[in-house]
Amino acid sequence: MSHDRILTFAFMEPPFESERTITFFRLLDAALDRDVDVRVFAYEGAVALAFAHQQPHGNAMHGRDSGEEAHPLTKDWIRALQEKAKAKRIGFEWINCGLCVDERGVNDVIDGCGRGGPPDLWRYASEARNTLTIGTR
Amino acid sequence: MSKYLFIQSQDPFTESRARHQFELIGQLHEAGHDVSVLLVQNGVTPARRGARGEGLDQLLNREVSIYADVFSLEQRELDESDLKDRIIVSGLHIIIDAMLARGKVIWH
Repeated sequence: MSHDRILTFAFMEPPFESERTITFFRLLDAALDRDVDVRVFAYEGAVALAFAHQQPHGNAMHGRDSGEEAHPLTKDWIRALQEKAKAKRIGFEWINCGLCVDERGVNDVIDGCGRGGPPDLWRYASEARNTLTIGTR
Repeated sequence: MSKYLFIQSQDPFTESRARHQFELIGQLHEAGHDVSVLLVQNGVTPARRGARGEGLDQLLNREVSIYADVFSLEQRELDESDLKDRIIVSGLHIIIDAMLARGKVIWH
Protein backbone atom coordinates (compact mmCIF):
# COMPACT_ATOMS: atom_id res chain seq x y z
CA MET A 1 0.00 0.00 0.00
CA SER A 2 1.37 3.41 -0.94
CA HIS A 3 1.49 6.37 1.39
CA ASP A 4 0.54 9.82 0.22
CA ARG A 5 3.66 11.59 1.47
CA ILE A 6 6.41 9.11 0.61
CA LEU A 7 8.55 9.51 -2.50
CA THR A 8 11.27 7.11 -3.61
CA PHE A 9 14.38 8.00 -5.58
CA ALA A 10 16.75 5.53 -7.23
CA PHE A 11 20.15 6.95 -8.03
CA MET A 12 23.33 5.41 -9.48
CA GLU A 13 25.76 8.31 -10.02
CA PRO A 14 29.10 8.19 -8.14
CA PRO A 15 30.17 11.20 -6.07
CA PHE A 16 32.36 14.00 -7.46
CA GLU A 17 31.73 13.13 -11.11
CA SER A 18 28.64 14.80 -12.47
CA GLU A 19 26.23 17.70 -12.17
CA ARG A 20 23.50 15.09 -11.77
CA THR A 21 24.68 14.54 -8.20
CA ILE A 22 24.03 18.20 -7.37
CA THR A 23 20.60 18.08 -8.97
CA PHE A 24 19.79 14.86 -7.12
CA PHE A 25 20.63 16.35 -3.72
CA ARG A 26 18.71 19.53 -4.56
CA LEU A 27 15.74 17.35 -5.43
CA LEU A 28 15.88 15.55 -2.08
CA ASP A 29 16.08 18.93 -0.36
CA ALA A 30 13.03 20.14 -2.32
CA ALA A 31 11.14 17.03 -1.22
CA LEU A 32 11.89 17.75 2.43
CA ASP A 33 10.76 21.35 1.88
CA ARG A 34 7.41 19.86 0.79
CA ASP A 35 7.32 17.74 4.00
CA VAL A 36 7.71 14.55 2.01
CA ASP A 37 9.11 11.36 3.52
CA VAL A 38 12.12 10.50 1.38
CA ARG A 39 13.36 7.02 0.48
CA VAL A 40 16.62 6.64 -1.43
CA PHE A 41 17.89 3.48 -3.04
CA ALA A 42 21.51 4.04 -4.06
CA TYR A 43 23.11 1.58 -6.41
CA GLU A 44 26.21 1.23 -8.60
CA GLY A 45 28.52 4.22 -8.03
CA ALA A 46 26.02 6.06 -5.84
CA VAL A 47 26.76 3.73 -2.93
CA ALA A 48 29.94 5.79 -2.37
CA LEU A 49 27.91 8.93 -1.69
CA ALA A 50 27.61 7.87 1.96
CA PHE A 51 31.16 6.53 2.35
CA ALA A 52 32.35 7.60 5.79
CA HIS A 53 36.03 8.04 4.88
CA GLN A 54 35.58 10.80 2.32
CA GLN A 55 38.11 13.53 3.07
CA PRO A 56 38.19 17.19 2.05
CA HIS A 57 41.35 18.46 0.43
CA GLY A 58 43.06 21.75 -0.28
CA ASN A 59 43.93 23.19 -3.66
CA ALA A 60 47.67 23.79 -3.92
CA MET A 61 47.33 25.29 -7.38
CA HIS A 62 45.19 28.07 -5.96
CA GLY A 63 47.11 28.28 -2.68
CA ARG A 64 44.16 27.26 -0.54
CA ASP A 65 44.28 24.82 2.36
CA SER A 66 41.51 22.35 3.11
CA GLY A 67 39.51 24.78 5.21
CA GLU A 68 39.72 27.58 2.65
CA GLU A 69 38.81 25.26 -0.18
CA ALA A 70 35.72 24.03 1.74
CA HIS A 71 35.50 21.05 -0.56
CA PRO A 72 31.96 19.68 -0.41
CA LEU A 73 31.55 16.04 0.55
CA THR A 74 28.45 14.06 -0.33
CA LYS A 75 28.45 12.26 3.03
CA ASP A 76 28.03 15.69 4.66
CA TRP A 77 25.15 16.55 2.34
CA ILE A 78 23.41 13.31 3.30
CA ARG A 79 23.95 14.08 6.96
CA ALA A 80 22.53 17.59 6.48
CA LEU A 81 19.43 16.14 4.83
CA GLN A 82 19.06 13.62 7.66
CA GLU A 83 19.19 16.46 10.18
CA LYS A 84 16.73 18.57 8.20
CA ALA A 85 14.28 15.67 8.08
CA LYS A 86 14.71 15.03 11.78
CA ALA A 87 14.04 18.69 12.60
CA LYS A 88 10.88 18.57 10.49
CA ARG A 89 9.90 15.19 11.98
CA ILE A 90 9.66 13.51 8.62
CA GLY A 91 11.31 10.38 7.37
CA PHE A 92 14.56 10.13 5.45
CA GLU A 93 15.73 6.60 4.66
CA TRP A 94 18.74 5.60 2.62
CA ILE A 95 19.66 2.08 1.50
CA ASN A 96 22.77 1.15 -0.45
CA CYS A 97 22.81 -1.87 -2.73
CA GLY A 98 25.00 -4.35 -0.86
CA LEU A 99 26.47 -6.00 -3.96
CA CYS A 100 27.47 -2.58 -5.28
CA VAL A 101 29.02 -1.71 -1.91
CA ASP A 102 31.08 -4.90 -1.84
CA GLU A 103 32.34 -4.36 -5.38
CA ARG A 104 33.68 -0.96 -4.40
CA GLY A 105 34.78 -1.69 -0.84
CA VAL A 106 32.79 1.21 0.58
CA ASN A 107 31.21 -0.71 3.44
CA ASP A 108 31.88 1.92 6.07
CA VAL A 109 29.06 4.44 5.65
CA ILE A 110 27.73 7.23 7.83
CA ASP A 111 25.02 6.50 10.39
CA GLY A 112 21.51 6.32 9.07
CA CYS A 113 22.45 4.72 5.76
CA GLY A 114 21.65 1.03 5.52
CA ARG A 115 22.58 -1.92 3.38
CA GLY A 116 20.12 -3.87 1.28
CA GLY A 117 19.31 -5.01 -2.20
CA PRO A 118 16.82 -4.81 -5.07
CA PRO A 119 13.94 -6.13 -2.89
CA ASP A 120 14.31 -2.94 -0.85
CA LEU A 121 13.87 -0.85 -3.97
CA TRP A 122 10.73 -2.87 -4.74
CA ARG A 123 9.46 -2.28 -1.19
CA TYR A 124 10.31 1.42 -1.33
CA ALA A 125 8.56 1.81 -4.68
CA SER A 126 5.54 -0.18 -3.49
CA GLU A 127 5.15 1.98 -0.40
CA ALA A 128 5.71 5.31 -2.13
CA ARG A 129 3.30 7.66 -3.79
CA ASN A 130 5.73 7.81 -6.71
CA THR A 131 9.25 6.82 -7.70
CA LEU A 132 11.85 8.57 -9.82
CA THR A 133 14.82 6.75 -11.32
CA ILE A 134 17.76 8.90 -12.35
CA GLY A 135 20.10 7.12 -14.72
CA THR A 136 23.68 8.01 -15.47
CA ARG A 137 22.75 9.54 -18.82
CA MET B 1 -4.80 10.99 -20.86
CA SER B 2 -1.69 10.80 -18.72
CA LYS B 3 0.27 13.61 -17.18
CA TYR B 4 4.00 13.68 -17.91
CA LEU B 5 6.86 15.78 -16.59
CA PHE B 6 10.15 15.29 -18.40
CA ILE B 7 13.30 16.41 -16.63
CA GLN B 8 15.49 17.33 -19.59
CA SER B 9 19.14 17.36 -18.45
CA GLN B 10 20.65 16.60 -21.85
CA ASP B 11 21.16 19.27 -24.46
CA PRO B 12 20.93 18.86 -28.24
CA PHE B 13 24.38 20.35 -28.88
CA THR B 14 26.44 17.65 -27.15
CA GLU B 15 24.01 14.73 -26.80
CA SER B 16 22.69 13.27 -30.06
CA ARG B 17 19.98 11.37 -28.19
CA ALA B 18 18.38 14.66 -27.11
CA ARG B 19 16.78 14.97 -30.55
CA HIS B 20 14.92 11.69 -30.04
CA GLN B 21 13.98 12.73 -26.51
CA PHE B 22 12.36 15.92 -27.80
CA GLU B 23 10.61 13.89 -30.50
CA LEU B 24 9.15 11.55 -27.88
CA ILE B 25 7.92 14.49 -25.84
CA GLY B 26 6.30 16.02 -28.93
CA GLN B 27 4.66 12.73 -29.89
CA LEU B 28 3.14 12.31 -26.44
CA HIS B 29 1.80 15.85 -26.64
CA GLU B 30 0.37 15.19 -30.11
CA ALA B 31 -1.29 12.04 -28.75
CA GLY B 32 -3.24 14.22 -26.34
CA HIS B 33 -1.29 13.75 -23.13
CA ASP B 34 -0.62 16.57 -20.70
CA VAL B 35 3.14 17.07 -21.12
CA SER B 36 5.51 19.47 -19.39
CA VAL B 37 9.28 19.78 -19.52
CA LEU B 38 11.71 21.06 -16.90
CA LEU B 39 15.11 21.96 -18.36
CA VAL B 40 17.98 21.34 -15.92
CA GLN B 41 21.79 21.33 -16.10
CA ASN B 42 22.98 21.65 -19.71
CA GLY B 43 19.39 21.08 -20.73
CA VAL B 44 18.82 24.83 -20.28
CA THR B 45 21.24 25.80 -23.07
CA PRO B 46 18.73 25.58 -25.97
CA ALA B 47 16.40 27.83 -23.96
CA ARG B 48 18.68 30.80 -24.57
CA ARG B 49 17.23 33.34 -26.96
CA GLY B 50 18.88 32.81 -30.33
CA ALA B 51 20.01 29.26 -29.58
CA ARG B 52 19.35 26.91 -32.49
CA GLY B 53 17.52 24.12 -30.73
CA GLU B 54 14.97 22.81 -33.16
CA GLY B 55 13.53 20.16 -30.82
CA LEU B 56 12.82 22.61 -28.03
CA ASP B 57 11.53 25.25 -30.47
CA GLN B 58 9.01 22.79 -31.88
CA LEU B 59 7.72 22.06 -28.38
CA LEU B 60 7.41 25.78 -27.72
CA ASN B 61 5.50 26.23 -30.98
CA ARG B 62 3.15 23.42 -29.93
CA GLU B 63 2.59 25.26 -26.64
CA VAL B 64 4.05 22.50 -24.47
CA SER B 65 4.75 23.94 -21.01
CA ILE B 66 8.50 24.49 -20.68
CA TYR B 67 10.22 25.37 -17.40
CA ALA B 68 13.89 26.14 -16.79
CA ASP B 69 15.63 25.42 -13.48
CA VAL B 70 16.74 28.68 -11.88
CA PHE B 71 19.88 27.17 -10.34
CA SER B 72 21.04 25.71 -13.66
CA LEU B 73 20.43 29.09 -15.31
CA GLU B 74 22.39 30.97 -12.64
CA GLN B 75 25.32 28.58 -12.96
CA ARG B 76 25.48 29.53 -16.63
CA GLU B 77 24.94 33.25 -16.02
CA LEU B 78 21.54 33.19 -17.65
CA ASP B 79 18.43 34.87 -16.34
CA GLU B 80 14.84 35.13 -17.43
CA SER B 81 15.54 37.98 -19.89
CA ASP B 82 17.97 35.72 -21.78
CA LEU B 83 15.33 33.08 -22.46
CA LYS B 84 13.04 32.45 -25.36
CA ASP B 85 9.44 33.52 -24.94
CA ARG B 86 7.09 31.21 -23.02
CA ILE B 87 9.83 29.58 -20.94
CA ILE B 88 9.08 29.84 -17.23
CA VAL B 89 11.84 29.99 -14.62
CA SER B 90 11.23 27.48 -11.84
CA GLY B 91 12.79 25.54 -9.01
CA LEU B 92 12.87 21.78 -8.60
CA HIS B 93 9.76 21.78 -6.43
CA ILE B 94 7.63 21.23 -9.53
CA ILE B 95 9.16 17.76 -9.78
CA ILE B 96 8.07 16.97 -6.24
CA ASP B 97 4.59 18.36 -6.92
CA ALA B 98 4.29 16.27 -10.09
CA MET B 99 5.38 13.13 -8.24
CA LEU B 100 2.89 13.76 -5.44
CA ALA B 101 0.18 14.21 -8.08
CA ARG B 102 1.11 10.76 -9.38
CA GLY B 103 2.33 12.14 -12.68
CA LYS B 104 4.75 10.20 -14.84
CA VAL B 105 8.06 11.89 -14.08
CA ILE B 106 10.85 10.84 -16.41
CA TRP B 107 14.53 11.76 -16.30
CA HIS B 108 16.18 12.48 -19.66
